[in-house]
Amino acid sequence: MLAEMAGAFASGLYQVFTPGTLGLMLVGIALGFAVGILPGLGGPTTLALMLPFIFTMQPAEAFAFLLGMAAVTATTGDITSILFGVPGEPTTASTIMDGHPMAKKGEAGRALGAALMSSLVGAIFGALALALAIPVVRPLVLAFGSPEYFMLAVLGLTFVAALAGDNLLKGLVAAGIGLMFATVGLDPISGAQRYTFGQLFLWDGIGLVPITIGFFAIPEIIDLAVQRTAIARANLGRLGGVMEGVKDTFRHRWLVLRCSAIGAYVGIIPGMGGSVTQWLAYAHAVQSSPGRERFGKGAVEGVLGPGAANNSTLGGHLIPTIAFGVPSGVTMAILLGAFIIQGLVPGPSMLTPESRGGHLGLTFSFVWTIVIANIVTVAICFLFLNQLAKVTQVRGSLLIPPVLLLIYLGAFAEKNAFEDLYLVLFFGVLGWVMEKLHWPRPPLILGLVLGPLAENRLFLSTDNYGMEWLMRPWVLVMIALTLAGAFYPLLKAWMRSREAPSAPRKSAAPRANPNTLFTLILVLALAAALWQSRDFGPRAGLFPWVIGFPVLALAALQLVLELAGKEQRAAMFVPEPGPGIPAPELRRRTAAILGWIVGYPAVIWLLGFTLGGTLCTLLLLKLGSRERWPVSLAMTAGVAAFIYGVFGQALHVPFPPGQAFAWFAG
Amino acid sequence: MIKRIPALLAAIAALVSFGGAAQAQSFFEGKTVRIVVGLGAGGGFDTYARVIGRHLGKHIPGNPTVIVDNMPGAGSILMTNHLFKVAKPDGLTVGHFNGAIILGQVLGQKGIEFDARKFEYLGAAVKENVVCGLTKASGAGSIESWRAAKAPVKLGGVAPGATPDNSGRILNAALGLPVQVVSGYKGTSAIRLAAESGELAGGCWSWESMRATWRKGLDSGEVIPVVQIVAKPMADIPNVPLAISLAKTDDARKLILVGVQNSSAFARPFALPPGTPRDRVDMLHKAFHATLQDPAFLAEAQKAKLSIDPVTGAEMNKLVADVFTLDAGLLAKLKDALYQK
Repeated sequence: MLAEMAGAFASGLYQVFTPGTLGLMLVGIALGFAVGILPGLGGPTTLALMLPFIFTMQPAEAFAFLLGMAAVTATTGDITSILFGVPGEPTTASTIMDGHPMAKKGEAGRALGAALMSSLVGAIFGALALALAIPVVRPLVLAFGSPEYFMLAVLGLTFVAALAGDNLLKGLVAAGIGLMFATVGLDPISGAQRYTFGQLFLWDGIGLVPITIGFFAIPEIIDLAVQRTAIARANLGRLGGVMEGVKDTFRHRWLVLRCSAIGAYVGIIPGMGGSVTQWLAYAHAVQSSPGRERFGKGAVEGVLGPGAANNSTLGGHLIPTIAFGVPSGVTMAILLGAFIIQGLVPGPSMLTPESRGGHLGLTFSFVWTIVIANIVTVAICFLFLNQLAKVTQVRGSLLIPPVLLLIYLGAFAEKNAFEDLYLVLFFGVLGWVMEKLHWPRPPLILGLVLGPLAENRLFLSTDNYGMEWLMRPWVLVMIALTLAGAFYPLLKAWMRSREAPSAPRKSAAPRANPNTLFTLILVLALAAALWQSRDFGPRAGLFPWVIGFPVLALAALQLVLELAGKEQRAAMFVPEPGPGIPAPELRRRTAAILGWIVGYPAVIWLLGFTLGGTLCTLLLLKLGSRERWPVSLAMTAGVAAFIYGVFGQALHVPFPPGQAFAWFAG
Repeated sequence: MIKRIPALLAAIAALVSFGGAAQAQSFFEGKTVRIVVGLGAGGGFDTYARVIGRHLGKHIPGNPTVIVDNMPGAGSILMTNHLFKVAKPDGLTVGHFNGAIILGQVLGQKGIEFDARKFEYLGAAVKENVVCGLTKASGAGSIESWRAAKAPVKLGGVAPGATPDNSGRILNAALGLPVQVVSGYKGTSAIRLAAESGELAGGCWSWESMRATWRKGLDSGEVIPVVQIVAKPMADIPNVPLAISLAKTDDARKLILVGVQNSSAFARPFALPPGTPRDRVDMLHKAFHATLQDPAFLAEAQKAKLSIDPVTGAEMNKLVADVFTLDAGLLAKLKDALYQK
C-alpha cells in the first residue's frame, strides 16, 4: 500500500514534468498571474472561460493548465491588494487591511515579500494536506453531517469579534447586516422571495464578486481620485524591504502555519472557500498577536495570515471534489466540469493506484502542480517586484480608467449579468460610507458568506434529526468552542475597559452629524427589512427574524450612544484633508469621481461595453484629469483593443448591445 | 502535445478577425451561433451543451462558429425568460435550460414569464430516466422493506419542483411509500454524500448520472437501485421494479406519468426563441440531430460518459403541449403531491 502510494506520488511528478504538460502549466500560470493581478477579473470566471480549451488536452495536461491557473491567482491577487488597496481577487480582500497601509507607509516591499512567502508556505501546506488527506479523507468527511456543518458556520461567525476592530458594537451590527444581505433571494424550499424586489437576478442572492469589488475597490478609487496622487503617498524609497518580509514569514512561522491549516481544513467544507478562510485567518492573526491596535495600520501579521490561508484553501478545496465529486465552491464546480469532460469520475477511483484501474497518480499530479505553480510564480514575482511596485508611483489619473473598466468587466463576466454592475455601485457606495465613518467592513462580508451556509444546514439538520442533532458529540464540542469564542473577547474587552477607564470620552455635543445619519438609515433599513419579512412564512422568515431583531436592537443602541455623544470619534464625512487641499475642493473632487463611477456603467448600458468602455476611458483621461492627447489616445486604443479583442473576439463574452442601438433599430 | 500551446496562445491572444464574406451563401455563413446555458459553467447541462457545441457548427450549412455561454440564475428561469422575451429570433441563439420549469409553468411557479408552448424545440440529447437508489444501511433496500419501514424513509431533495423532490413526492402520493423528502441539498452530489454518511437513505435522479457517479457503491452493493420511474426498464437493471407497474389505481398511474415519467423527455431541452424563421429552425434541427449521430461527437460524449438518447423537436413539442391539456382535477392532485407538505 505504502509502496503504491509512493509510486503514485512519483508518477504524479513524472506526469507533470512531461514537456506538453509543463508547457500548458506555464501557460496556465501566466494566465493566472495576469488574472490575479488584474482586479475585477476573478479566478473562477477565467476558469469558466478556459473550459472550451481543455477538450483536446490529456487529463494531466488539462488539470496542470487549470490548476496552475487557479493556484497562482491568490498569490498574485495579494500583490494588487497590497499595492493598490483594490482586491486583485475576491479571496485577497483581507490582505488589503494591513498590506495596503504598509504600502502607503513605504513598506510595500516588506508587505509583498511577506505576502509572497506566506503564500508559498500556504500553498505547499495545502498541497501537503491534500496529499496526506488522500488515504483518510473518506471516513473523515463522512463523519460530518449537516449539524456539524451548521456549527462550523456558527463557529466561523464568532470570528466577527476579532474583525470588528476597536468597536465591537459596530462590528456586530455590520455582521448582522451581512447576514441580512445573505437572506436576499428566493428561498428555494418555501418559494418565498426575500428582498428581491421582483428582480430575477436577485433570486440566487447577492454574488460575492460584485460585493467584494464594490466594497473594497470603489472606496480606494474615490480616495485615489480625491487625493490626486500616486498610490504610494510617501516616496516608495527603496523596496529593499522584500527580504525583510520574507524574514517576517519565518519570524512568525507558527502563525503562518496555523493560518495555512485554517485555510486547508476550513476549505474542505463545502460553501467555505477562500472568501471565508482569508477573514478567519486575518481574525486569528489579530487575536493571537500582541497589540491588536496595530492592526489595520500596517501590521505584518495581518498580511501573513490571509496570505497563507487563501493559498492553502485550494488544497483543502480539492479534497471533497476529488474524493466525492462534491464541489466545495465555484472554482471546484468548474473543475468538476473539467473532470467530466476528461471522462474522469471523481470518487474512490481517484484515490486508487493506476495499477488497480484508478487515477491516484493523476491526483498526485494535482499536488505537484500546486507546488510547482506557486514556486514558479513566487520566483517570477521576486524577479519583477521592483517593476511591479513602481506601478504605485504612476499617477492615479492613469490608473483609475483601467481599474474602473476591469471592475465593471469583471462584475459582468462572472455571470454575464449586467445587473451585477448595479450591485457594484450599491456596495461601492456602502463600503465608502462605512470606511469614512469607521464602520468595520470585514464582519459584513463574513456574515454574508456564512449566512446561507448556516441557514441551509440548520434546516437540513432539523429536517433530518428534529432537535436531536443538538446532542451529537461533535456538535456539543463545537457549541462549547463557539461559546468560548464568543465570550472570551467580550471578557477581554471588559477587562481592558476596567484597566483603563480613564480614556477621556470626548463628550461631543449631542448633535446630528453624518455618523448619526448613517446609523439612523441603518436602523430604518433594518426595521423596513423586518416589516417586509412579516409575510415570509415561518420557514423563510425564521432567519431574517432571528437575526433582524437583535441586530435592530444593537443598531438602535449604537444610535442612542451616538446621539448621547458617546461616540469618541467625530468622524467627518469628507476625506481626511490632504496636505493643502481645501475642504470645498475636496467636496468638488469627491462629487466628480462619484459622478464618473456612476456614469461609467450608465454609458456602458447606453453604448455597450466596447464602445462605452472606450469612450469612458477617453473622457476620463481628457475631461476628468486633462491628460495630454498622446497619452489619452494611446491608452484608449489599448483599452478598446483589450475589450474588443480579448473579451469580445477571443473569449466570446456575450456583451449586451448598447441600449441606444436598440432604440435606433426601432 | 506541445504544439497545442502556440495554438492555445493564439486563440487566447487572438485579436480582431474581420471575416465575413460579402455575399453569404447561407444565412449562417460567417455568423456565430450561441448556445446559452441557463445554469452555471461546469455542471451537467453545461457539459452537454459544450460537447454538442464543439460539433454542431460543421453540420449547419455555412459552418458558423458555435460558442457556449452561461447565463445562470433562478434555476434557469432567468435565461428562459430572456430566450422568450429578449433574444432575437434569428436562429443565432439556442437556449438550453432545465425542463422542470415547463411543468413549473403549468403549476403556476412564480417568476416564469415565458410560454413553453411557443418555443421552437430542437429536442434533447438525452432523457432523464429516474431511478431511486437507497443505501443498504437504510434498511429500505427493496420495495417490500421500504413499504414496511416504520419511520418515513428520508430521500434527498434540492428544491420543490426539482427531479429528486418530485420523484420522492410522487412515490409517496401514488404508491403510498413512506417517504420524507428532505429538501435543500445543493445538487445530487451532496445528496449522495449525505446518503453515504447515513444522514439520508438515498435519492432519485437520472440513472445515467447515478450509475457513473455512484459506481463503487452500486458495485459493492452498498447502494441498491430500488425502483425505476421509467416506461420500460433500463437495460442494465432489468429486474428493478417499475413504479408504474406498482401503481394500483388509474390516478396513481397518471400521477407517475405526468409528475415524473413524461417530463423525462423534456428535462433537458434545446430550444429557439418563438418566431424563429421556419427554414432556420429546420436547418438547426437537422444539424442538431446529425450532431448527435456524428461519430466524432459520440466518441467525445462516450469519453465524458454522457449518455445519448435523442428526443426530436416534434416529440418534444407534443409532450410539452400534452402537459398543458391536463384536466383540472389531475392538476390539483399533482400540485398537491408536489408542493404540499
